[in-house]
Amino acid sequence: IRTPVCVLRMPRGPDGSSRGFDPTSERYLALCPTTISSSDSAVDSATFVEEQKARTVLRERYIRSLLAMVKKDVHFTMYERVKVNAVFGASDIDILNFQVSDLQTPLGVQKEALIRCPDIISYSFSIDAGLKD
Amino acid sequence: MAMRQTPLTCSGHTRPVVDLAFSGITPYGYFLISACKDGKPMLRQGDTGDWIGTFLGHKGAVWGATLNKEATKAATAAADFTAKVWDAVTGDELLSLAHKHIVKSVNFTQDSGYLLTGGQDKILRIYDLCKPDADPQEISGHTSAIKKALWCNEDKQILSAADDKTVRLWDRASMEVVKTLQFDTSVSSMEYIPDGEILIITYGKTVAFYNALGLDLIKTVDAPAPINSASLHPDKDFFVAGGDDFKLYKYDYNTKEELESYKGHFGPVHCVRFSPDGELYASGSEDGTLRLWQTAVGKTYGLWKCVLPEELVSENSDTLYGSTPEIKA
Repeated sequence: IRTPVCVLRMPRGPDGSSRGFDPTSERYLALCPTTISSSDSAVDSATFVEEQKARTVLRERYIRSLLAMVKKDVHFTMYERVKVNAVFGASDIDILNFQVSDLQTPLGVQKEALIRCPDIISYSFSIDAGLKD
Repeated sequence: MAMRQTPLTCSGHTRPVVDLAFSGITPYGYFLISACKDGKPMLRQGDTGDWIGTFLGHKGAVWGATLNKEATKAATAAADFTAKVWDAVTGDELLSLAHKHIVKSVNFTQDSGYLLTGGQDKILRIYDLCKPDADPQEISGHTSAIKKALWCNEDKQILSAADDKTVRLWDRASMEVVKTLQFDTSVSSMEYIPDGEILIITYGKTVAFYNALGLDLIKTVDAPAPINSASLHPDKDFFVAGGDDFKLYKYDYNTKEELESYKGHFGPVHCVRFSPDGELYASGSEDGTLRLWQTAVGKTYGLWKCVLPEELVSENSDTLYGSTPEIKA
């Protein structure tokens, strides 16, 4: 009688809730980077310091732009040809979700909502616009 | 100690699996795509069979599927009269190429710059993927539906198999036929091995090996049952074949001796392919499943683990399964 070969587990099947292509997988992150990774610190120190300075400026400017957006009307362009307006409240620390109010949707106005940042293609607002309380 | 083959069953499809293809070896391993009549081709990790994602978009049965070498792009051929090109990392549809009838076969050039398609309208088409809106080049000649179309000879030539019982070799530059092989019966499948320029054609119960450059016959091997697909090991020492009797057969390529046969599928085997490293082969069946089979039975590879007799009775073997629990699709 021949012994059957042992297996560690069965192959994983579809998870049923999504179409897959995990954006946190090593391959996805390597081939579809969503951020520009910083240079290896092995690169010459002058270039590295300059790059870090530039990154700091850009980061601070972005955070200040989020502050400037609070209580303003923001126009969001999203996937699936969605364009909506909402009043910006706050972002989470990882810039993964935006808390908004009075989200104008084809189904009506959503008083409070969370918009997932990966669903946003772009957004715009006027710095001079009045505040919406 | 002789070991018994434990195939790994990949479930997920709900209808027959009609085509499958492996990518080359990438820094992230190698990948497998399966074409299914349920219209939802799937990408899997090649060495484990783990599902990675499903390409959603086709509105009909998918008859052909392929990956480029780097597994960054996928292409599919479907009954909805389109061939589609996909980003194989994100799963997004990149291009939809409209045809005038069911598309059966798709194949990338080595640089993924061009896509070859063939189908029920009997015409071979070459699409420049950098200019997707441009009209494809068309090659006519076949008098029946094209089943399979492949680039060969460093993408300078094209091989096509059709229901008109011919396999034709075309020159890409002149778009003219170079040689035609006539058969008495319909060709069921065709596989091309660039390294060595070998072409494998199956028809009836026969697996035939040709030199792809001149279409000269190398040898033929007859199987016990009608064969739908065959694949040659990268080292050209074995080949595997599967067909209407639901079994997988393994032969010595040099001696033509039948070495092993495996039962496992619950329906005819439609496609079988060796992985790029030759360590396993995958089969797709009418029963809606893909199965992965070891080339060297008992070797530790992927999800298979070589276990010494002492380990089988130890307390540390909880995660090891001695027999495959049957998982219904």
